[in-house]
Amino acid sequence: MKMEDMSLSGLDNTKLEALAHDIYADLVEDACLGLCFEVHRAVKQGYFFLDETDQDSMKDFEIVDQPGVDIFGQVYNQWKNKECVCPNCNRSIAASRFAPHLEKCLGMGRNSSRIANRRIASSNNMSKSESDQEDNDDINDNDWSYGSEKKAKKRKSDKNPNSPRRSKSLKHKNGELQCYETLGPEELRSLLTTQCGVMSEHTKKMCTRSLRCPQHTDEQRRTVRVFLLGSSLPDVDGVVENDGYDVPDGQALMSRLQWDGSSDISPSDSASSKASTNNSDSKKPKKKKKPSLGSLGLPSRKKKPKLPAPPTPSIYDDMN
Amino acid sequence: MHGNAMKRVNMSKESQMRAAINQKLIEMGERERLKELLRAKLIECGWKDQLKAHCKDVIREKGFEHVTVEDLVAEITPKGRALVPDSVKKELLQRIRAFLAQHSAL
Repeated sequence: MKMEDMSLSGLDNTKLEALAHDIYADLVEDACLGLCFEVHRAVKQGYFFLDETDQDSMKDFEIVDQPGVDIFGQVYNQWKNKECVCPNCNRSIAASRFAPHLEKCLGMGRNSSRIANRRIASSNNMSKSESDQEDNDDINDNDWSYGSEKKAKKRKSDKNPNSPRRSKSLKHKNGELQCYETLGPEELRSLLTTQCGVMSEHTKKMCTRSLRCPQHTDEQRRTVRVFLLGSSLPDVDGVVENDGYDVPDGQALMSRLQWDGSSDISPSDSASSKASTNNSDSKKPKKKKKPSLGSLGLPSRKKKPKLPAPPTPSIYDDMN
Repeated sequence: MHGNAMKRVNMSKESQMRAAINQKLIEMGERERLKELLRAKLIECGWKDQLKAHCKDVIREKGFEHVTVEDLVAEITPKGRALVPDSVKKELLQRIRAFLAQHSAL
């Protein structure tokens, strides 16, 4: 087509208008057809009438507009005043507080282990009698409490044998719990220098956790070493070798168990030892004066990571 | 005769013009845009729902199972054309005229 054929002069305004209307009509017809196809398909596929409900159901689900009741007709604070009886401690607890109480009571929630550990930590600073104030929460924490072995024995019957806490503590003990009878003295000693070694009452096996394992006290560890390697001597001569880590005789081994690792380390002691051990970090142990056992394997419980040197008074006292 | 011939020529010119414009409309995608615009406006103003309700009546009338597309088209299209609100019509015409003004001058 030539250019002039396309010019506006070829079509005057009325014709243009007519054209516009024609185009518009086409578009509307397209829309209608589209709708017809849609509806027809919906009818044939069976989903056209799905959005209709019968009158009866409509009445059932009508919006409720009464006071004291929500739009579904439910009472809002129906359970506020109800009380439930806890199956564990048999106390009557308010409904809204029931779930958190149950969490603590059963010792299964996220916070309950934290609280229990905190309590243990704080009860170590107090006297043992004060740990009488153990709450229900601690019933399941028998394996974790220090110095409450007697109570542990008493409460064993209270303990739920199926509680997850208990099975957890048994299953998750590090590695194999070895039977001490099969081990020779050398192996025993090397074991005891690296492992806690405390023997569990139920299984008679040695704890394979580290020397600072929170499950056992230092006293327990000392007892075990005494039991396994011979009795302790009051004045023990220091280890002769420079490399203090493999001492052949049992006394020296035990001498390395620091007795004063208990929490009542006096400030002056620790201060002096800290001062003296500034330069001699983890160095060889020399002769001991005190009857108490020095330690290389068992650092004091009070040792904190910020300290430059481990506070081990008995070994390093003579380094002054 | 000459007049008639002229008319025919003009007619064919005109139809050529129209064909050309329509083609342009499609090629530039303007027709599609117009179509979408119309659809959106019709839904917005409730035209679609109105017509659907009418459809339901027709279907119930004709019988659920035997409804054909032709039935629906015959019933729906005239009503559909009539039900388009004026504002929508005006807007669409405006756009079409604008397009024509822009592109028919070439």
